[in-house]
Amino acid sequence: MSTPVTLEQLARLCRDAEGSRGPRPAAAPSGFAELDARLPGGGWPVGAIAELMSDAPGIGELSLIVPVLSRLARAGRHIAWIAPPYLPYAPALAQRGLPLERVLLIQTRSLQESLWAMEQALRCPAIGAVLGWPAYIADRNVRRLQLAAAAGGSLGILYRPPEAARESSPAALRLRLHAAPDGLAVEIHKSRGGRAGLTLRVGVATTAVVA
Amino acid sequence: MSAGLWLCIRLPRLAREALATATHPATAASRSVDQAAIEQAAMERLAAWAYQWSSLVSYRLADGPLLWLELGASRALFGGHGELLAKLTAGLTQLGYSHACALAPSPAAAALLTQAGEQRCVSTLPQLRLRLEMLPLALLALPPEVLAALHSAGLRRIGQLLALPAAAIARRFGPAASLYLQRLCGTASDPRPAWRMPAVYRARFEFDAEVRAATALLFPLRRLLLEFQGYLRGRDCAVLRFTLQFEHYRHPDSAITIGMSAPARDAAQLLLLARERLQALELPAPVSALRLQALEFTAASVLQGDFFGNDAQQLQQLQVLLDRLQARLGDQQVRGLALEADHRPERSWRFVTPQQSTAVPDMPAAVRPCTLLQPPRRIEPPAVLLSGPERIESGWWDSGDATRDYYVARAGDGAQLWVFQDLARGEWYLQGLWT
Repeated sequence: MSTPVTLEQLARLCRDAEGSRGPRPAAAPSGFAELDARLPGGGWPVGAIAELMSDAPGIGELSLIVPVLSRLARAGRHIAWIAPPYLPYAPALAQRGLPLERVLLIQTRSLQESLWAMEQALRCPAIGAVLGWPAYIADRNVRRLQLAAAAGGSLGILYRPPEAARESSPAALRLRLHAAPDGLAVEIHKSRGGRAGLTLRVGVATTAVVA
Repeated sequence: MSAGLWLCIRLPRLAREALATATHPATAASRSVDQAAIEQAAMERLAAWAYQWSSLVSYRLADGPLLWLELGASRALFGGHGELLAKLTAGLTQLGYSHACALAPSPAAAALLTQAGEQRCVSTLPQLRLRLEMLPLALLALPPEVLAALHSAGLRRIGQLLALPAAAIARRFGPAASLYLQRLCGTASDPRPAWRMPAVYRARFEFDAEVRAATALLFPLRRLLLEFQGYLRGRDCAVLRFTLQFEHYRHPDSAITIGMSAPARDAAQLLLLARERLQALELPAPVSALRLQALEFTAASVLQGDFFGNDAQQLQQLQVLLDRLQARLGDQQVRGLALEADHRPERSWRFVTPQQSTAVPDMPAAVRPCTLLQPPRRIEPPAVLLSGPERIESGWWDSGDATRDYYVARAGDGAQLWVFQDLARGEWYLQGLWT
């Protein structure tokens, strides 16, 4: 490169290098322009784990990922839901463009089984995304899942309690989700290869159509 | 005139190969079938299939079936068309048709070159002239008496004939022969009747022997679906449902409709769905012909990816995963979701076996929350209603009578709730979360 590097660019290069351990992940567009603009590669990290830490259930935490799930499913890959705490509502998913025959619901009897099922599903190339709700998960298990996601080229979504934000995690992306008057406030808690600390408003369509 | 580039496919055994050979001659009585009708139907299906490669498709059945595709002269021959020709040839082999292909700047020359032993690809008119000059006269598509006259005049190769003045050829062998030669060399225009894509898709496959087992239909069905896939790609569209109709000997036709919850056009995917249905199907009588029909199409833009041939591999990998999950967790622990035609939210869905595609009932007009509480939980009247009511009334015919007003409510922690008031009792329930 012949052009001199400005201090600002240099600072950014250092910050990026610090934030990224390992290769920059491929990305799948989230369906929300404001979010894509903030995520490295312009979307959810494919071949990696994203953690979502929601303040409360029912603030749009699933609506945030339904567009990317639909996109992956319409590209022919399946979506595995591992032991969801609530029943995914089929008409709502179909309304949002998610082909139901690509949905797999997997019930488990223990956290151990859930982690095993997530790992198996993430490794399978026919699976586009895996959703899990572990009550507790150790770092080494997140790392295991991350390796499985990289091997299968799939997106792993871990829903974790808000307290998990106090601890570190090897997940490529960690977002905190807060209720906002007209949508969802997304706080980028950690972003491998990107910037953390931003909060942005995402207009997830929950009740907009009901008059 | 500027010549396009024409691909010609000669299909020497079209009628014979179009007949399914999935049956055992010993178990089914052979019936005489109309060869010409079979050839015509097979060519129609092939023209639809070929439309994915070219917007100008034409065919001729007399004197050996020929199918032409206009490929356009703009691209460099081997660089631009090599991949296409490889795909096309592989596709014909997959469909089970013997074929000879040739490429030339005129349709007549392309047809002629399909009978030449080698060097069947020529991209420019000067090259074509050189190539034709060496070939024997017998390859010309001229009436036998004209060929005999040429032969007795001492001519053996096409080059000798082309060396004669056009006026002399017209005088001695007729104007039709002269015009044919000019068209062959690309010096006279040769308009071909363009095959028109039908608005609905109907394909028919007649068996030379009756088929008694539904699973024996899979082999001919695979070919039908490959041709159907070509048609869908050519039209750049997809289907949500298609119908398989079975013609029986001395029994009224029967049919099954195969529906998907998302538009599809991948032959492997469609075949997988059809296989599921065929395995469970009890045929009322042996099948003498199979028809595939699709009346409605959706835009292909909703398809995010069209995996050429990857689908089969993916499905296999998925099967391995499902088997492993079910082996460890139990069969009932791995399920899929489907819709039910019922207004009541708790009855508008059901569990199904994984990957099962089902008919799609009408969707509710209003947006529904992504998660459901099953059964609804009794709550105190909510303090903050954000929107509503939406009246849902249904079920008087099966004792699940319900008249409810649905609202979106907000909880103290910011969560949005899907609640309803039972109008008969006045009680409030929480039924969903806007997760």
